[in-house]
Amino acid sequence: MMKNTYARTLDELARIVADTEGFFAQHNIDESLRMKVDLSLEELFVNMITYNTETDHEVMVEMAPIDGGIAVSLTDHGVDRFDPTLGGEVDINAPLDEREPGGLGLYLVLKMADSIHYEYHNRVSKITFTNRTDVGESEQHV
Amino acid sequence: MFEIDFNDSGNVAMSGRLDAAQAATAQSFLDRIEGNCAIDMAGLDYISSAGLGVLLRMHKRMMGGGSGLELVNVNSHINDIFSYSGFDKLFKIRVK
Repeated sequence: MMKNTYARTLDELARIVADTEGFFAQHNIDESLRMKVDLSLEELFVNMITYNTETDHEVMVEMAPIDGGIAVSLTDHGVDRFDPTLGGEVDINAPLDEREPGGLGLYLVLKMADSIHYEYHNRVSKITFTNRTDVGESEQHV
Repeated sequence: MFEIDFNDSGNVAMSGRLDAAQAATAQSFLDRIEGNCAIDMAGLDYISSAGLGVLLRMHKRMMGGGSGLELVNVNSHINDIFSYSGFDKLFKIRVK
């Protein structure tokens, strides 16, 4: 189990990546999961610090090894409810002139995570996602 | 760590991790480029939605001027991200 907090700045992404790399090594978690975990962690962290502007609390990240993979949680205190599992719709078949930068982050998280769960109590948002090596793309669910 | 520069072939070469913290660096470099352009991604290990936004913004600007952006030496992980994002339908992509 690892629990760290990060300031609400993009500069913290480098520390998040380093901490994730260390956790994977410490617990012998399959490196094939790194890209998916790094991507979901970045997108959810950036989403929190970009849109949850009503707080200045640090974002807490917890990691735990699970059977065949990893569970990651991000917790944000003093924020309004925002459930990332309800959004993320992007028309990836739209032609170039209809595509705009932005909006892909949560969509990719929902694609990459094998499971994702949202909790909200007393103005605390907690998002937990898992990635496992034994879950194929067709078995992924939200 | 992210680096962007011109390589010996005159193409843009990216390496490292193109994440939200590095997107502005990539954008300011690419904003100076006019005409057809290929980005060599042989050294690029990671890209997030912020990086995808940089590529999409440049591609739209270039297509508007009658040129285009090509992505070459793309590794399989990043190619998966491009496929998930529908970028494989928007860009000319050559996989490593």
